[in-house]
Formats: sequence, C-alpha cells, structure tokens
Amino acid sequence: MRRTPASETPPDTESASALLRHFPADVVAAFDRFRETGEPAAAEIVVFAVIRDHMVDRAAAANAQFARPQVLIDDLGFDSMAISEMVFFFEDLFLVTIANEEILRVRTVGDLCDFVRAKHAARASAR
Amino acid sequence: MRTAVITGLGFITSIGNDRAAVLRNLRSQRHGIEPIEFLGNPSLSVRVAGTIKEFSTESPSWRDWRYPARYELTREVLRGLPPHGLYALCAVEQALADARLAAPDLQGGETGLYCASAGSAFLLHHHLAQMRAVRGERGNPLGVISSIAGTLNFNLAAHYKIRGAVGGFAAACASSSHALGCAVDDIRLGRQERMVVVGAEEMNADSVLPFAVMRALSSQSDPGLASRPFDRERDGFVASGGAVCLILEEFEAARARRANIYARILGWGQAADGYSVAMPEPTGAGLATAIRRALKDANLPFSALDYVNAHATSTPTGDRAEAAAILSLCRESGSAPPVSSTKGLTGHPLSMSGVMEAAFCALAMTEGFIPGNAHLTDPDPACEALNLPRTTVERRPKLVLKNSSGFGGSNVCHIFGLS
Repeated sequence: MRRTPASETPPDTESASALLRHFPADVVAAFDRFRETGEPAAAEIVVFAVIRDHMVDRAAAANAQFARPQVLIDDLGFDSMAISEMVFFFEDLFLVTIANEEILRVRTVGDLCDFVRAKHAARASAR
Repeated sequence: MRTAVITGLGFITSIGNDRAAVLRNLRSQRHGIEPIEFLGNPSLSVRVAGTIKEFSTESPSWRDWRYPARYELTREVLRGLPPHGLYALCAVEQALADARLAAPDLQGGETGLYCASAGSAFLLHHHLAQMRAVRGERGNPLGVISSIAGTLNFNLAAHYKIRGAVGGFAAACASSSHALGCAVDDIRLGRQERMVVVGAEEMNADSVLPFAVMRALSSQSDPGLASRPFDRERDGFVASGGAVCLILEEFEAARARRANIYARILGWGQAADGYSVAMPEPTGAGLATAIRRALKDANLPFSALDYVNAHATSTPTGDRAEAAAILSLCRESGSAPPVSSTKGLTGHPLSMSGVMEAAFCALAMTEGFIPGNAHLTDPDPACEALNLPRTTVERRPKLVLKNSSGFGGSNVCHIFGLS
C-alpha cells in the first residue's frame, strides 16, 4: 500500500528548521545563534552555506572558498534565476520582503552578508 | 512526400521505466496498478492507481526528491521542474540514447519540441498557498515555470537548447496525440528534420482526486480488477502518470544516419464531438470521423488495419462510444481488426496516454505481437461485437490505428506502418 501524506500541501510558510533541513548542523546552529545575538560571524556561516547551496556549478560549489569581494555572477557562476531563488530563500528564512532595487545592489558575497545582517536588524528592531 | 518515422523511445510508466521492462510487462500482461491511500484518508473511494516506481516526488521541494542514480541531473535543471518534468527529462534521456543521439544533435534549429501535460496542480497549489499566506508579499520565483501548463516545454527546450519549433498542447487526454500529429506535420512540411514529442503527468492527490469528484474513477480496491476496458463490470478509470518521449525524424535523414526505425507515421486525423464539455458523444461519430480522416491521410482503407489500439479508459460511457465508432467502421469495411486497450495494464495517464500508447504500438510492430485486453472477462454487450483478444496475440501488426479522445470531445487518430 502506498500512502500519500495527510496533507500533501505543506505549511503555507515553511519554518526555518524545515528550510534548513538539508544543511549541516553547524549551519543550523549558526542560524539560531545569529537570530538570537545578531553575531556577524554566525551570519557569514549561514550566508556562505546558502550561497553554496544555490551555486549552479555543483562541482565548484563543493570546494568553493568564499570571500567578501567575490562577485556572485562573475566569480561564482550565478545566473539571474539562481539569484532570484536565493533571495526568495532568504525572504522565507528571515521572514522579510526584499525589493527589486535592493536585490540589484547586491553584487558580491560581502554585499549579501551585509544585506542579510541589515535586514535582520531592521526586522528585530521593528518587533 | 516526406515521411516522419519514430527512431527513439523513452518510458517512465506504471509498467516500467525503460523499454525492456515496458516490453516485458506489455507482452506478459503484468499490470502496474497498486493500492494507494490519498491524503491519509482510507475512506476515499479511490483506492488504486498506476504508480510510478523508483521515484519519490511527494515533496514540493526538488531537494527531497529521489530518482534512479543513472540519471545525472544538475541543480540548474532540477530547480525549475515539477515532478512530471523530472519524469519527462528521464524519458527524453532514454529516447535520445535509444535513437543514438546526443543533446548537441538537438541544438541546430532543425529539431523541435512538442509537449503535453496538464501542468502541476500540486506545485501550483503549493506556490499559491505560500503566496496567499503572506498576502502576496513574496513567492517562489520559479513557481510559474515549474507549475503551469507549458512547464515541460519551458524546461526541456531550455535544457536541451532546442531552437526549432517549441510548444505545448492542452486538450486533456488527447493532448499528446495532438502534439504527435503536429510534430508529424512539421516534418512532412519540411519545417523540421527532427521532433521530440513528450507527454507527462503527475500521479498525486492534486492530479487524481479532481477526477474522483467527477465520478470518473474506478472505486475498485482490487488492482487486478479496477482497470478493465470494455468489460461489463468496469466502473471508471484508474489514474496514472509518468512520461513518455518519442523521437521523430524525417525518413531519409533517419536512414542516412542508419537510425533504428520503429515505425512510420502514415497519417493522422482529428475531429471533435461538438457535444459536451466532458461526456463523449454516445454514437462515437466524432471519433469515427477522426479515424476516417487519419485513414484518408494515410491513403488506406480501414480493412487494411492489423490492429487498433483503443483509447478506452474503462469508463462506462467512453468505452461504449469508442466501440460504437470502431464498429461503424467495421460494418462499413466488412473487417474486424483486433482491438485492445493497454490501459488495463497501465491505468490512464491522462494527457500522456497518446504518446505512451503510440510507443506501445511501435514496440508491438517491431517485436511482433498484439497486446491483449488485460482484465477483460465479460465484455459489455455494447462492445462485444468488437474483436477483443483477451491475451497477447503473437502476430506482427504491420498497420496500426491508435485512437485518443479528451474532454471537450477532442478525437485524434494516428496510423502507424511498419518500416
């Protein structure tokens, strides 16, 4: 007997733990730490992991070493679809909305780290 | 006159995920229907389905999917696919290998792609529910391309860098037969040298249960009895899914590269019922007209046919209307070719059934057998005048008619000839 779940429709918004279910434990722990403390190093661990997860070239992703000046498209092989997908992932993870003009300002790994921290801080202060 | 021939086949079906398995199960009449429980609700009337083995696509996230390791699929490809797009990609990979072609062979502009599916109700529902939950403030940017009807051609054309004619067909259960017919015309008219034709569907609660509320599905719990086209006790169709791919080529071009040719496509025709949005016209007049048009296109009489692969899905009204159509031609021609529906084995995979059964016809012609009517024990009196073999007939059909019908009364027929 094959069974399909009681609800094949997942929760309307996925929880952070569900979104991070394919990530290593240290990334999940860094996410929790960042959410509680806003620690920049923890944010960097999460952002690097999400970048690695969304890189189109999987062979390159496996061995990639990230640095703040790296350009997402030119250096890491991102296409516009992968950037859109990654932005949506961050929106869901941090429960924020990211405008098109904000996305356009993010070119490098460092831009992305700063952006995530700023968004998180803005949301935390709004609570 | 230019002729289209079939040179490659790929299968992800309830009766097998490669040509050898499909052939074995088709010939030995081993069905692919299993018990199933949708939405964790054992009280639903739908209790069986033509399941897709070796794949797990219950999650809306491709990250959770499982598929055979022999397919090497990149993140770039997977991210925009619905579950049936995954099946389709696997079927295309098989068909290309079968035709001894590689992806670069599709990129010169002389190859086109026609697809058929209903889209992914499952993913569309998921993405819209996500968007509604946040009052439209965000959503998955790949939600549209991975779920709407057309998702197959979006994804496959981009992946294989196809630069010829590309499009999708949406005529419910006749869709992939429309795709096949239009692909044949593109080759005949010299617009394309090669066409990739794909039909695919999902088999999940979102794609199946809407047919249950139409009272179109069998309520049988026995997988061996649920799908029995033309039988007196049939009570609806058994849903299925998967993907099938046909590679079509212009005959001389195929011969020049010494391709293996399964069959020639000698003609096709279509005609609609003009009757009901969902019910078939009871006399089968529209289907009979479609058959006549296909025969005229092929310049053949009905009496020349060696086998008819019926659309018959195991619904009371549909099988009866198709029987009436075929019988009207039998009476006119004084002939009674063997007629069978292979949906007794596979269930009904909706819009992909046309290309799936076209592929079955190609296998039957090259391997030398006529599929029987699995699970048929007591023919409906309205159908019993047909020549309905119960078991596999070990005889090579040289001229074959394939029927397809869909909602809105669309009827599409193809004539295949042994090459």
